[in-house]
Amino acid sequence: MSVEVGTDSETGATTETVTGGDTSEQSSIGSLSDLDAIGLAYGAVGTGVFLAIWQTAAMAVGRTYLLPSPVEVATAFLVELTAPTSFTVPFVEISVPATRLVANLLQSLLHYLPGLVVGSVLGIALGVAMGWSGRLDDALTPVTRFLRPIPPLAWIVFAIVWIGIGHGGAAFIVGIGAFWINFYNAYAGVEGVSTHLREVASTLGVDDDLTMIRKVILPAATPSIATGVRTSIGQCWMIVVAAELFGAPGVGFQIINAAQNLATDVSVAYMAVISLVFLVSDGAFRRVERRALAWRD
Amino acid sequence: MAGLRDGPKAEADGASDGSAVATPKVVVDGVDKVYESDRQRVEALSDVSFTVSEGEFVCLVGPSGCGKTTLFRTIAGLEAPTGGEIRLDGEAVTGPGTDRGMVFQEYGLFPWRTVRGNVAFGLEEQGIEEPDRSRRIDEMLELVGLDEFADAYPKELSGGMKQRVGIARALAVDPEILLADEPFGSVDAQTRDMLHEELLRIWSETGKTVLFVTHDVEEAVKLSDRVVVMAADPGRVREVVDVDIDRPRKRTDPAFAEYVDRVRGLIGE
Repeated sequence: MSVEVGTDSETGATTETVTGGDTSEQSSIGSLSDLDAIGLAYGAVGTGVFLAIWQTAAMAVGRTYLLPSPVEVATAFLVELTAPTSFTVPFVEISVPATRLVANLLQSLLHYLPGLVVGSVLGIALGVAMGWSGRLDDALTPVTRFLRPIPPLAWIVFAIVWIGIGHGGAAFIVGIGAFWINFYNAYAGVEGVSTHLREVASTLGVDDDLTMIRKVILPAATPSIATGVRTSIGQCWMIVVAAELFGAPGVGFQIINAAQNLATDVSVAYMAVISLVFLVSDGAFRRVERRALAWRD
Repeated sequence: MAGLRDGPKAEADGASDGSAVATPKVVVDGVDKVYESDRQRVEALSDVSFTVSEGEFVCLVGPSGCGKTTLFRTIAGLEAPTGGEIRLDGEAVTGPGTDRGMVFQEYGLFPWRTVRGNVAFGLEEQGIEEPDRSRRIDEMLELVGLDEFADAYPKELSGGMKQRVGIARALAVDPEILLADEPFGSVDAQTRDMLHEELLRIWSETGKTVLFVTHDVEEAVKLSDRVVVMAADPGRVREVVDVDIDRPRKRTDPAFAEYVDRVRGLIGE
């Protein structure tokens, strides 16, 4: 089992290759609503065939812990979705009723969201700053080039000694992942703004850097920045699973924990949770993006 | 088309208006531009001098490589001359500014802004508040005939329409002169003819001084009061031709053809 999980964490770390692959995958998912009826029918057939093969294989194997069948996974999913438990709201320390699945999802969100938000904001800020200022770019490029290939999970030692195991440490790891993805997209976006548009703005009275950044650079770089944010929304879920290896509670921890107890049906059910959460958040972001960036060609 | 600004420049104009001769609005005075690198030295402009009077329509024509775009950028303040200077209303140009409204061949519209938003850009920078800003935008869009497309994004517009936005945006800030660099170079011939008529109408309605760069001799003869003919290697002024034909000008007019031939001859086409 641990081998599989290890692969997962690697995937989360090698952001660039995964990003490229993900983008095409995401676009096919995102355009689901635009598909015609025939396309939908094909999709249904493909899904049916996939599930049938899976079910047949699982029945042939005959042991749930080796390969849980889709029915078993669905059952486990429903059990987790409905089994009552409680969730302690952080800071206020109030316990509220929840189901196991919801509680685990909330636990993951407690480090996923802060990590994603803080990492993205810092990454965008540095990316814009370095994309804008040639001097800063020259000064920091050696550092960023060197630090960037390090997988987020490699920083786990510092996450543990500085912050400790738990939400803080996991958020730190997620934040590092979000930081680099957003840094590079923001940087490329700002660098790609045509000098022509900047010149046009200067002939229209823009004569200071801040105004130029606010009124020309940022709007022009927004599509690239948005791509970074969208990519990190997906990538950070992969990092969450890896980060929770080290004991932070949440969906990823459940995947590992259940698998170690040979409850692989529960493990796969939580994998499905990550998929679903990703699909929903990515779809929602795309919707917002499409509307906000309607001006794009 | 009353100016939004009553700046010091307008007053200066009035003061220096004593002479009977038309006020030189733009003075290009011995401008040199040399690009030097380790390996070579390119003389893009060599001792270029001419003047443009208030309200005049002047075209700069020349073969490619004659430095007309470099000159345009220098007048715009986007590049500094290596010698000589450019004066607008007697003041040396040191950088870009809203006293020169710029129209570019590639339009340079902000794609994330609507037509209205593009026209608003310079007005925002000038600190013109609502409702004056909206009034000015409406006025400009009406001038270029785009009032119905106020809320469209640039990607939804044809090339000709984009350039009308470009003109509206440049004029919105009420510049002293309108500078255009091959503005109709990317539109088809029919649209170009229409835009010529429109530009001439806008010119006569606003009374702006226009400096128009083109490589199209017919375009230059059709539009301008005077044609500054440039030559290449190094970029310099060959001759300034006064076009003395009444408007509207027709290409079929023999006088028109004569001017075209003459200018072409000067260029060496």
